[in-house]
Amino acid sequence: MRRALVRVVTPLVWRVPGHGARKLMGFARAEQGSRIDLLHAAQRTPSLARRALYLRHAVDETRHAGMFWRRANELRPGFSPPVADTERLFERLGETRFLAFVHRGEQRGRQQFELYAKHFAARGDSRTEALFQAILVDEERHERYTRELLVELAGSEAAARTELRRVALWQAWRMWRRAGRTLANGLFVLAMTALYLVCGPIAAIGSRLRRPKQLAKRWKELPEADERVPERGARLGEEAGLP
Amino acid sequence: MSVVLGLSGEYHDAAAALVVDGKIVVAIQEERLSRIKNDPSLPIDAARACLKFANIAAGDVDRVVFYENPVAKLERVLTSTLRVFPRALAQWPRAVGAQLGSKVWVVDRIAEQLGVARSKVTWTEHHKAHAAAAFYCSPYPSAAVLTVDGVGEETSTALWHGTDAALAALGSIDFPHSLGLLYAALTAYLGFEVNEGEYKVMGLAAYGQPCMRESFAEIVQLHGDGTFELALPYFAHHADTELGFGPALERLLGPRRAPHRPWDLTSDDDGRYADIAATLQQVTEEALLALARAARRTTGERALCLAGGVALNAVANARIAREAGFERVHVHPAAGDAGGALGAAILGALELGDPRPAPLRSAALGLPIDTAAAADLARELGLTIRTSANVADETAELVAGGKIVAFCQGRFEWGPRALGQRSILADPADPESRERLNRAIKRREPFRPFAPAVLREHASTYFDGAPDDMTPFMTTVCPVRDGHDLPAVRHVDGSARVQTVDDASAPELAGVLRALAARTGRPIALNTSFNGAGEPIIASEIDALGFLISHPIDALVIGDLVVTR
Repeated sequence: MRRALVRVVTPLVWRVPGHGARKLMGFARAEQGSRIDLLHAAQRTPSLARRALYLRHAVDETRHAGMFWRRANELRPGFSPPVADTERLFERLGETRFLAFVHRGEQRGRQQFELYAKHFAARGDSRTEALFQAILVDEERHERYTRELLVELAGSEAAARTELRRVALWQAWRMWRRAGRTLANGLFVLAMTALYLVCGPIAAIGSRLRRPKQLAKRWKELPEADERVPERGARLGEEAGLP
Repeated sequence: MSVVLGLSGEYHDAAAALVVDGKIVVAIQEERLSRIKNDPSLPIDAARACLKFANIAAGDVDRVVFYENPVAKLERVLTSTLRVFPRALAQWPRAVGAQLGSKVWVVDRIAEQLGVARSKVTWTEHHKAHAAAAFYCSPYPSAAVLTVDGVGEETSTALWHGTDAALAALGSIDFPHSLGLLYAALTAYLGFEVNEGEYKVMGLAAYGQPCMRESFAEIVQLHGDGTFELALPYFAHHADTELGFGPALERLLGPRRAPHRPWDLTSDDDGRYADIAATLQQVTEEALLALARAARRTTGERALCLAGGVALNAVANARIAREAGFERVHVHPAAGDAGGALGAAILGALELGDPRPAPLRSAALGLPIDTAAAADLARELGLTIRTSANVADETAELVAGGKIVAFCQGRFEWGPRALGQRSILADPADPESRERLNRAIKRREPFRPFAPAVLREHASTYFDGAPDDMTPFMTTVCPVRDGHDLPAVRHVDGSARVQTVDDASAPELAGVLRALAARTGRPIALNTSFNGAGEPIIASEIDALGFLISHPIDALVIGDLVVTR
């Protein structure tokens, strides 16, 4: 279903002027976020073998983020290096479900990138096609190893499928909550804008009347330049300590 | 006797520091653990890591001190956005949302997330935290203290008098007049990231001429008493935290530079931007000099302590040391907001009756590496490892042979500088090493200089003015003396951001420098931070090995292991 939707929407999305570069930056940020999550996983997993795998995966994600960022800047200069936050997924989900989450992400990414690579090949944009093809090699490897580890940690193929279903449900719940937050944020912005428009003029007039413009620019409390403090150690202000 | 945790965060450079019985035990920036550069979050991981390192349970903490007054900050945000009505219309919902949504509740969130009683969590003032970090970690019994940054609660600049275990506030300059925000606005104008690109502007300045003083006289006025005034129509930081400068600045100085466009300093266009950087640097230096002279006049002290983000301007610090009339100058190694965590912890400890801490001799206040874990992981990654009988000799041999070596020893550094605990070392006489480092490893602008690390006892042979109280922490620059061929670390203006090294500050690096002297006759190495482009400096052995497999360095020396691909 999702794949069919991506197939239909892809040609439209990449044709919007400037949107392609923004989309590539979106991928760069996603790879950067994934890098951070994988580094956290490498720091926290009890298994040496998995630590090495997560670390190698994180290194790949760093490289991918750089590749997407550079291509985005070629298409439309001015993007800053990708910055991402973390949702502390390893701590929140536990290692098995974290792996299920990563596996789903890799699978989705691989499917999407396959379509994009074909799309750019058809358009004759060999540079962007090569970018996706290069990253696809890694995505396939990531998809494979995370599946193997998931089965190993879950205990069986059936248990791994259960974990994948559970993480899909969790992602759907997360998306629902995000939508709620976005809506609430929109309402908050509207309410605050109205508040600013109502209170702002009154407050601005009041503050300008009360506080001359010059006040903030000069030393507060400091004696005039030629008035030297006579004694070393003279305490003119408050003493050290907490307020 | 007490256990006090200091925290900074919620803006940028989140950090935690632990002071036990008046002794600085551990201090960690959150970014080192989270791997998010300039991590602005609450430093809960760093705080937990501090407690774990000291083997202290959260319940045994006597006080937690946040480095800023959240209510005063809320008040400043509200009043400053209302005062510029209607210019802050777009900014207002975001600013109010951030403050009311989380920042103003910071004390409660700290208590909840750390598992510490709410009554034990308190706060101090932003600039007082900076001043405490600067003064109480300095070797001076009394000193003038200047704190200069973007903005604290409402203060951008403050002057203090430190005597023994007391800090007296003498005066302050308020937001929106701020040297930190002036530098930040021009950093953004020049196409660099704010809170990240300020070093780049400082490096770029050496390639230009300060020929735009007339234009800058319209942007910022410097007064005889050390105060200064920004011409606010050129700025936007009081109405928009995202942009920093207004269209009037572009009308005055010309169009801003597009971010991430490759630099060509031979072109007229980039030459003009270099001139702007040079003029900004000169104006900043003169403003700081005037502040320092006011501090000298006012306190009568012979020593000066500096903190706040602007105090990381090493070129300006060198001028202050030379020209402000002080005999000694100290800059806290984490002069930016991270340092406020340590200052807050010290203030809390003093209030609980603990003594003033001993002067800071080394910035190695972070977590140690685990060499055994590094060996296991390196084997798992298929890397080649061997144990060295003499790490210093072997590292020196590699560096003298033109190799680029990542050097990872002991506890990581406090502050933004790599000081021999998480460093990349190379031959300072080899310009090719510099090129390779810049292009293939650090991937940074060609005009950015690299720094030398030199044995303290030989520093004056090579660098004019070294050593002083700033050189152990790499917070000043010194001219390279004539007759020494150090092309990889000499900046275009003939200066170098020197680090002086001894056994107290970085014993392993001191050993390498001695071994280098035996081989090359020079106890100097190029020392740059052990991190990839846009990443925080390495903390753990995992980060170090991840760097090795993704960057073309020749070797990683970690503890007594030499690891290669």
